[in-house]
Amino acid sequence: MNELKIVLGLVAREKRDIWLSIVFGVIAGLTTVGLFGASGYLISKAALTPPLYTLIIVIAMVKLFGFMRALGRYAERLFSHRATFTILSHIRLRFFELLEPGVPKIFQKYRSGDLLSRVIGDVESLQNFFLRVYYPPIVLGIVFLSTIVFTTFFSWVLALLFFVGLVMVGGVIPFLTALRQRRSQQSVREGRGLLSVKLTEWMYGFRDLKIYQKQEEKEKDVKNSMEAYEETHEHQQLQMVQGQSLNLLVSLTATWVVVGVSVWLIEAGELDGIFLAMFIMISLMVFEDAGPMASVPVYFEDNRHAAKRLFSLPVAQTAEKRPVQLDTEEPLAFSLDGVFYSFPESPAPVLQNITLNFPPGSKTAIVGPSGSGKSTIQQLLLSMAEVDAGDITVHGENMAEVDEESLWKRVNIILQENHFFHGTIGDNLAIAKEDADDQEMGEVLARVQLAHLSPEDAVEERGMNLSGGEKQRLALARIYLKKARTWILDEPFSSVDALTEKELMDNFREETRDDTVILISHNLQGLEKMDEIIVMNQGEVVETGSYEELISRDGYFHRMKQLENTLIG
Amino acid sequence: MKEWNLILKQEWKKVTVMAVAALVLAASIIMQGYLFVSIVDDVFINGAGLSAVMAPLFYLLAVLWLRTGVSTVISRAGVRLASRAKREMRYRLLHKIASGSTRDAAQTEAGRRVSIFMDSIEETDSYFSGYVPQVIQSLIVPFFLFVTIALTHLNSALIILATSPFIPLFYIIIGLKTKEKSEEKVGELNALSGKFLDILQGLTTLKLFLKANDQKETIRSSSLRFREATMEVLKTAFVSSLMLELISMLSIGLIALEIALQLIIFENMNFFTAFFILILAPEFYNFLKQLGFAFHTGRTSMGAAAKVYEEINKPEDEVMWGEEKLVLSRPPHIILRQATYSYEEDGFELGPVTVDLSPGKSLAIAGRTGSGKSTLLHILSGLLPISREMIEVEGRSLYSYQEKEWMNHISYISQHPYIFSGTLRENVVIGAHGDPSEKEVSEAIQKAGLHELVQKLDSGMETSVGEGGRGLSGGEKQRLALARAFLKNPYVILLDEPTTGLDLETERILGESLEELSEQATMITVAHRLHTIREADEILFLENGRVAGQGSHEELLRDVDEYRRMTTVSQGGEAQ
Repeated sequence: MNELKIVLGLVAREKRDIWLSIVFGVIAGLTTVGLFGASGYLISKAALTPPLYTLIIVIAMVKLFGFMRALGRYAERLFSHRATFTILSHIRLRFFELLEPGVPKIFQKYRSGDLLSRVIGDVESLQNFFLRVYYPPIVLGIVFLSTIVFTTFFSWVLALLFFVGLVMVGGVIPFLTALRQRRSQQSVREGRGLLSVKLTEWMYGFRDLKIYQKQEEKEKDVKNSMEAYEETHEHQQLQMVQGQSLNLLVSLTATWVVVGVSVWLIEAGELDGIFLAMFIMISLMVFEDAGPMASVPVYFEDNRHAAKRLFSLPVAQTAEKRPVQLDTEEPLAFSLDGVFYSFPESPAPVLQNITLNFPPGSKTAIVGPSGSGKSTIQQLLLSMAEVDAGDITVHGENMAEVDEESLWKRVNIILQENHFFHGTIGDNLAIAKEDADDQEMGEVLARVQLAHLSPEDAVEERGMNLSGGEKQRLALARIYLKKARTWILDEPFSSVDALTEKELMDNFREETRDDTVILISHNLQGLEKMDEIIVMNQGEVVETGSYEELISRDGYFHRMKQLENTLIG
Repeated sequence: MKEWNLILKQEWKKVTVMAVAALVLAASIIMQGYLFVSIVDDVFINGAGLSAVMAPLFYLLAVLWLRTGVSTVISRAGVRLASRAKREMRYRLLHKIASGSTRDAAQTEAGRRVSIFMDSIEETDSYFSGYVPQVIQSLIVPFFLFVTIALTHLNSALIILATSPFIPLFYIIIGLKTKEKSEEKVGELNALSGKFLDILQGLTTLKLFLKANDQKETIRSSSLRFREATMEVLKTAFVSSLMLELISMLSIGLIALEIALQLIIFENMNFFTAFFILILAPEFYNFLKQLGFAFHTGRTSMGAAAKVYEEINKPEDEVMWGEEKLVLSRPPHIILRQATYSYEEDGFELGPVTVDLSPGKSLAIAGRTGSGKSTLLHILSGLLPISREMIEVEGRSLYSYQEKEWMNHISYISQHPYIFSGTLRENVVIGAHGDPSEKEVSEAIQKAGLHELVQKLDSGMETSVGEGGRGLSGGEKQRLALARAFLKNPYVILLDEPTTGLDLETERILGESLEELSEQATMITVAHRLHTIREADEILFLENGRVAGQGSHEELLRDVDEYRRMTTVSQGGEAQ
């Protein structure tokens, strides 16, 4: 419920558009009722052959109502949609504000891909919140109440009847429908999720499933989930139809009662017969407007879930600023002492009892098989994850107390996955240095052998139009612009061919002569000039030493090198 | 006829139900009007009391309930129709995916196809549940209303006849305008709506460059620009509704005016007729207007349906398997004859390749990235179709056998085996024929070097892996693939050798296991190990899809420059 309050708060910011939507909605609603009521009156009046001028007045009113209704609807639509899109913008921003302090730690814990695509869908579905849940009931209430007030001038009994009708179609029936729908909406959501997972798995495993002849079995499984999902979906839709039908039934029956009671009142002399047609028309119209109320609870439920998923994100635990600022221009030193780390939902430790030292200006390489914990060391050194036990220091300070931003400012970072934004090459480079001009950009591009690209060239979403090697080199160009004195890079050249890699490495060595370098490497090439090589396997450091030391030791590194020497292609 | 409308033909019963219900609906609307009017006429004009109108009052109640009833029938039929239609499309799409051949691109296509299967098909729902029922109603009900009005008072019918064509006309004109507008904006809209996701995805990068704070402004401005662009498109749609309202308003007003004149000035019409017309006319325009609104939703759905059928109808190579059995007591004799394959999209061509692989021999496929090695492996595994005569197993075309007869004999070991969400045991057992015993499973686990891992895990073999379960490292995945192979005991092993070589333990296990497995199997390897190549009975060296060399290691060293360069200057050595 609290999450929906956040959304409500964001909605409330658009006071002007809300008011306008409601005002024009009410105008459209009232004129509809007025239009039909007046025409009912008109026809009755005409039957009595009254003086022409009274008729002209009524006709004029009918016309006026007609135009006002059309214009009112138009304005209502305009303002309510405007409000909706502004509100969506607020929702995005608020979500961003909540998420941002937790990143990147939060992405270590949750699969960011799933998280983010879900977020987009949820934000989209909140479109309906203002448009279908928030303001239509208000409009309906006002129109209904005005009609009731109008009716009291003629008959208290009829007014009371309208009121009972309003309570039924605007409250009782939607509420009952909502109660019944809760369960089925939930199972529709679950069924959809399950189907999507099963389908994805089946498609990804297609080749192996074929070979193991389990493809048809799994296909059947997907089909069953699909049938189950369609079944629940159909059931839910039929329930919704039922709710709408019930609303229609009650509305029409209410009008019928209005007719019966009016006839009785006329007979009793309490109501003039000339108003009978008018009340029939009013009743038909005012209840017709109440039709959409039946689906309000359905949207409400959907929005409640969307809001819950969006705003119940575990926010970063340490939102407050850390006390220690790193304000040195010198290359940084790091040390790890007895560090343990494991992923939140997995019992197997990723790092076990790691003790390492990276002096200022040192050049260190970390090597080892996939899953040995190399990348985790990078994340710990960048304060992107927190140790389970042990200590990490940076520049003599306790990592847990160092303000992350002051650390990131002083380190050139390449992660295994680097994001590139939709825009131009220049836009993507400017992230590192806002005031870099074309010439400077051209220079770094040339230095990473991307001279064929210019800063104006377009970059598609996630850099889809760039090859893996180009993306890696662009990431390198980006940090060359940043000019910090400490470098922590995770497999920066894994998609680059051997020859280019060698050239890039030579250039890189040149660039980083006096700096601290920590390089996670996918292979053992070009490590001869490193001060120290750290060999990792299964979360532990198995060997450390310079290239010559390790090769002559005939240990793990030596065997790795031997194996690598036999790799081709 | 559009393909998705064939579903309507198939489900003609539901469509008929809707049509019949619409007829009853028309009748009940006319009856309803008639009864309302006659009650008012009796009470207001003739001064009748409640008891006198009791009978029509109860008829009226019955008619009102009937109207509710038939509306419900139509809506329910719509929901059912949509459900059937979606199932039908989903079945066809699944079938399409299932019968398609496997290729590397299949994985990159997966996301797009999942989105079509889940989202696009869902979007077609409103076409069947909303648009179709509305069209049926709007074709039937106004017609009968018009006839009734014409029979009651011809002048009103003439006014309707004169004005109602403007409604579809306006719809067409403004519909086209909206379409134009939205097409003009579609690029901008997509870019703006993608901006938020782009920023969220790149948030780690932005944080590390200390640029995250600037993004609030970007999100705000792109959201607001999105709003403006969308509103522009919506505005034209709203204007069209406005015009519709005005037209129907104007028409009803004309009718009312004419009736009033007849009533008062000419006094040649009675109250009953006048009121009856006045109650029916708005209903008439209502159905036309609703058709207009339905048309809007219908069009988005039709777009989605077109997308779905485009996918379903995409031509794709399908392996057509035969009926023969393949009974083997030794590895099969496999021959490729001038085999070729090409990818249409990028114009890549493989072959011609000719290889004669006697039982139990080993073949290594070598070459640079993108030279067609994996494609060749897929062809040899029967996952990628080529002409029947190009591939022969035991003296017949491979495709003359039943699919399972062939697949039962092969194992495919790759760096990225399929790990589905389930327990470790379930993931291993998928490799077995039938139901393997506990002993067989643990033997396979042992041989594949997974024993240690299983012991370390709290729930052992019952640990859940895959999506939402414990992640497996690269080495562990490969061992899992090995365990599957040990359970299967295949006559043909297709191996995609790991391209990186830093996991010594897995390398050792892989080497030993394959030696054991290959004792009674034909080995076909996409080779990245010098060792594998040297040991192979025959080597195929590919360059850009072409066979650049074929024979033993020595022969190739002697004859093919590129091969010599590649094998002597391996990844480990400096590329100079």
